[in-house]
Amino acid sequence: MNRRTILVLVGLAIADLFISVWVGQQAYHWMPPQASAESVLVDNLFSFMTTIGSFIFLGVVGALLYAILFQRAAKYDASDGPPIEGNIPLEVVWTAIPILLVIWIGTFSYQTYDRMSILGPMEHKAMGMSMAEAAPVASPEAEQSPINVYARQWAWEFHYPAQNIRSTELHLPVNQRAKLLLSSEDVLHGFFVPAFRVKQDVVPGQEIGFEFTPIREGRYRLRDSEYSGTYFAANQTNVVVESAEDYEQWLTTVASLPPTPAQNVAYEEFNRTTTQNPIGLGWKTVKPAPAPIVNYASSEDDFHE
Amino acid sequence: MSNASLEVTPPNLQPQPGAPDNWRRFFSFSTDHKVIGIQYIVIAFVFFLFGGLLAMIMRGELITPEADLVDRTVYNGLFTMHGTIMLFMWTFPMLNGLANYLVPLMIGARDMAFPRLNAAAFWLVPIFGVILTLSFFVPGGPSQSGWWAYPPVSLQNPTGNLINGQSLWLLAVALSGVSSIMGAVNIVTTIFRMRAPGMGWFKMPAFCWTVLSAQIIQLFGLPALTAGAVMLLLDLTVGTSFFEPSRGGDPILYQHFFWFYSHPAVYVIILPIFGIFSEVFPVYSRKPLFGYKIVVLSSLIITGLSGIVWVHHMFASGTPGWMRMLFMFTTMMISVPTGIKVFAWVATIWGGKLRLKTPMLFALGGLFMFLFAGITGIMLSSAPFDIHVNNTYFVVGHFHYVIYGAVVMGFYAAIYHWFPKMTGRMYYEGLGQLHFVLTFIGTNLNFLPMHPLGLQGMPRRVASYDPEFAFWNVLASLGGFLLGVSTLPFILNILSAWVRGEEAGDNPWRAIGLEWLVSSPPPHENFDEIPVVVSAPYGYGSNEPLVENNPTKELASEHS
Amino acid sequence: MSTAKLDQTVNTQVVQGVGHEEEEDHRMFGFIVFLLSESVIFLSFFAGYIVYKTNVTDWLPAGVEGLEVREPFINTVVLVSSSFVIYFAERYLHRDNLWGFRAFWLLTMAMGSFFLYGQAVEWMSLPFGFKSGVFGGTFYLLTGFHGLHVLTGVLLQSIMLARSFIPNNYAGGEYGVAATSLFWHFVDVIWIVLFILIYVWQ
Ligand code: HEA
Ligand code: HEA
Ligand code: CUA
Ligand SMILES: [Cu+2]
Repeated sequence: MNRRTILVLVGLAIADLFISVWVGQQAYHWMPPQASAESVLVDNLFSFMTTIGSFIFLGVVGALLYAILFQRAAKYDASDGPPIEGNIPLEVVWTAIPILLVIWIGTFSYQTYDRMSILGPMEHKAMGMSMAEAAPVASPEAEQSPINVYARQWAWEFHYPAQNIRSTELHLPVNQRAKLLLSSEDVLHGFFVPAFRVKQDVVPGQEIGFEFTPIREGRYRLRDSEYSGTYFAANQTNVVVESAEDYEQWLTTVASLPPTPAQNVAYEEFNRTTTQNPIGLGWKTVKPAPAPIVNYASSEDDFHE
Repeated sequence: MSNASLEVTPPNLQPQPGAPDNWRRFFSFSTDHKVIGIQYIVIAFVFFLFGGLLAMIMRGELITPEADLVDRTVYNGLFTMHGTIMLFMWTFPMLNGLANYLVPLMIGARDMAFPRLNAAAFWLVPIFGVILTLSFFVPGGPSQSGWWAYPPVSLQNPTGNLINGQSLWLLAVALSGVSSIMGAVNIVTTIFRMRAPGMGWFKMPAFCWTVLSAQIIQLFGLPALTAGAVMLLLDLTVGTSFFEPSRGGDPILYQHFFWFYSHPAVYVIILPIFGIFSEVFPVYSRKPLFGYKIVVLSSLIITGLSGIVWVHHMFASGTPGWMRMLFMFTTMMISVPTGIKVFAWVATIWGGKLRLKTPMLFALGGLFMFLFAGITGIMLSSAPFDIHVNNTYFVVGHFHYVIYGAVVMGFYAAIYHWFPKMTGRMYYEGLGQLHFVLTFIGTNLNFLPMHPLGLQGMPRRVASYDPEFAFWNVLASLGGFLLGVSTLPFILNILSAWVRGEEAGDNPWRAIGLEWLVSSPPPHENFDEIPVVVSAPYGYGSNEPLVENNPTKELASEHS
Repeated sequence: MSTAKLDQTVNTQVVQGVGHEEEEDHRMFGFIVFLLSESVIFLSFFAGYIVYKTNVTDWLPAGVEGLEVREPFINTVVLVSSSFVIYFAERYLHRDNLWGFRAFWLLTMAMGSFFLYGQAVEWMSLPFGFKSGVFGGTFYLLTGFHGLHVLTGVLLQSIMLARSFIPNNYAGGEYGVAATSLFWHFVDVIWIVLFILIYVWQ
């Protein structure tokens, strides 16, 4: 290789790098709002992987495009290309580069994971012992008993044991470690709040401790993320992150409210007997559990981010 | 009938498998590997259209946020059957078809090792295909638990009937497993025992290597799925409680059984596509496959790694932290052997004399999209990130990029490339290129929007969704319909070329390989005289003969 | 001559035609590949058993103390010894001593049947059933699936025995006998693992 080719190659690599870094920065905008301490970590990881991914993608595609554009055989040219069968140093290099990249991506992911220390079910005995580094504030309230999260076909219900309140909307104080205890009464469900970047399957027959730290006030969507049958899509509700005062206020107000049946999409749809679909076909389904009886019922029409 | 009657028949009257004039043999219990190969390919493609039709109804539902076009139960049945049909009725039979047709020709054998077993394995395909299709008509409809059939949802059986969509689904999957095992035993034996003299392991075409690797995965993976399926079936029908948590069972154990097979299964699908890329790029770049040895060995490395990564589908399932980290690293390692292949293909193309015929276009398009999908795959393997996008459309986007972008495109490349060999006729280049353009645009339009959707948190397997997701879903649906349209020029092209296309000649691409030494379509029993191989498989540019004898001596003299 | 007829001729030609001696070899190779694959089913069941056994809290159904080991042990001894007996049968066949082959072969079959009978007796006497929790489920699944293999083995053996009466059938060594015997050893090894898992590890 002469000096010119090397220069051109280095120039291209630098250009590739710049574009990739730029794409990596864009990656933050593809995500929902950063409403938990974990989300910041995940987004950094995603941006990093997007940068590396773009670099590889652009590099390889660039080479391919160049060949496609400039190395085509002329119309009546029936000759063969040079009979190059391989090049050991080159092959060693392109085995080594992915290995290094993998170690890099793996380490970055491992560190991110470590700092999130989302508690898996196997660790639930150790709950409360390991505070994630991501938690910016450790307050005494964090020692409170966890909020019970009940998933069922097809409703979410939250129970605050200290106040003995039931609600279909999850309220959490901002900047405090949220502690939940997930359980399911029938099939697998998944606890998923995109704005928090956290997710955990809810497994029947197990109680799973789950922690994260909300850092931004607002109302976000909480979704069922493990397919749970007919009305799976409708099994959604909201989570409200509010200031400590608002949160206390909410708890006291709601404690005084009488239990009433909540709005429940699955149950209502099931009881509407006619199918209004153009393809008037429907099959027998598992009967939804009746709407939960709660002190505070959320509404599907509530605004969420 | 005696031998004598065969001898008086002029060779050109011998039935040529592939030519439409004796189409009846395609409906018979033929033991000829070439007939069986085409039988597999055609039936697989019919089911591809069926599975695609279901997908288009799904996209119709998803074009608006509400669950309006079909009932929710119907939507759930649709995606379950779509996934099942596409994997078990399209990709696997399609691969077996190509392997059946090509492997004996490429290794210089007259047939597969066990021709009757081969035919039996094939005829199971329509049987379980019909069972699966019929499950639409039983009370309660087809299985609605997704293609994973996770318990407890898959055990719920609201109709209470013994014969229900779920049990038929299990039956079909079990039969598919039996058929695949039969096929795998046959193919592995053939490759090990029936290579032509002189064809050492490192003179074998890359495609055969990838087929071998893929079939080894079937052999060690499928039994695990079978074990899980048997236990699920017992739970569903007899009332045992292996996976029923309310009675002491463990639903997560099922997930391990399922993914222990179904992760490697994705490499069963992609490996032969890698093989196709490795065959196609050298021919249309007129250069040898770069780094042949390491490329073929990397298939075996992928096979090995594929068995130790399955938990990456279960990062959010309640998997302990150490398992998440362990399987994250093993999964990422896959990118090393895969990267070796990708770079080798680029180096093969680089500096060549490119001819952008339809097969080459599809292979290039497939490589492009595989690269994209591989990168999103590596992102998914990073546990903290996967926890966010698991069970969202990001995953759906990832795997359709591989499975449509790379696998379906790879199949198209293979069909166009070997079509002249299989039928003796040439497809129409213009239609082929139109097909490519539509497919390429359609695939990206359909599946790219799924990535932002997933990042934003849209779950998969939903018939309705929040209105903020509408924009990207409309684009995806349009892309889906475009993909449906894109199959039409292909069907038109293949059918009309098969019936009245131009004569292609024995080797229209001037390709190197044993299959190109025989006539098109190849004669019965392939070779008059078993070829004796003397050089490496990709001798472009070096003018060495591939074999030292002429395997078609008699035919060549009496024919044409 | 019609094409259809021609097809048939050609098909039979393929099946009976060229290179048939090779195919004998292929068959044994293919059979070994198959057995390797099949062993993974057992491995999966074993893995499942171990997972349940180590994780499930109420492992034994109420009122069940554990499994009786004595009779199953006798059963095990009989089954494992039959592996040696079948080996002698094969030796006789190789020395063209058909009657010696038949005698030992029949003895193997008797021992296999004894095993099946013993297992049936055990099943009858057990205080728990298929549906008694995961313990009952895995117990019957494992022993039943293995028993099915023993039964298959005995059936294959009776076919081979019957075929030994066709004159000159076994002159050049016989694939069927070798495969059956291999299968039998396979079933034996599986049983040993199974016995250790279920009866010894309580
Ligand atoms: C043929 C099909 C196919 C193929 C080949 C792949 C390839 C890969 N897949 Fe994919 N995958 C599926 C089909 C496939 N997948 C399907 C069907 C599902 C969903 C099933 C379901 O849920 O229904 C799925 C889901 C899936 C998940 C689970 C996501 C979830 O549910 O949360 C994960 C997670 O790790 C994953 C990862 C990967 C990885 C790491 C690869 C790797 O093999 C990719 C390797 C390739 C490259 C990386 C590109 C080339 C390499 C280089 C150029 C070298 C340099 C690169 C780097 C160092 C990054 N896949
Ligand atoms: C090989 C595998 C394969 C292929 C090729 C495809 C192809 C397509 N798939 Fe998919 N898909 C899966 C495998 C595959 N898929 C799997 C495994 C799942 C997961 C299932 C699960 O979650 O359980 C899935 C899930 C899945 C979803 C998610 C569903 C959900 O989670 O709710 C969607 C949504 O858009 C989708 C869409 C499509 C589309 C639009 C195509 C298009 O490419 C199809 C293009 C259309 C055609 C090719 C048909 C052309 C037909 C005609 C023109 C009509 C003529 C008809 C006759 C003559 C009968 N697929
Ligand atoms: Cu008959 Cu090989
Ligand atoms: Cu996988």
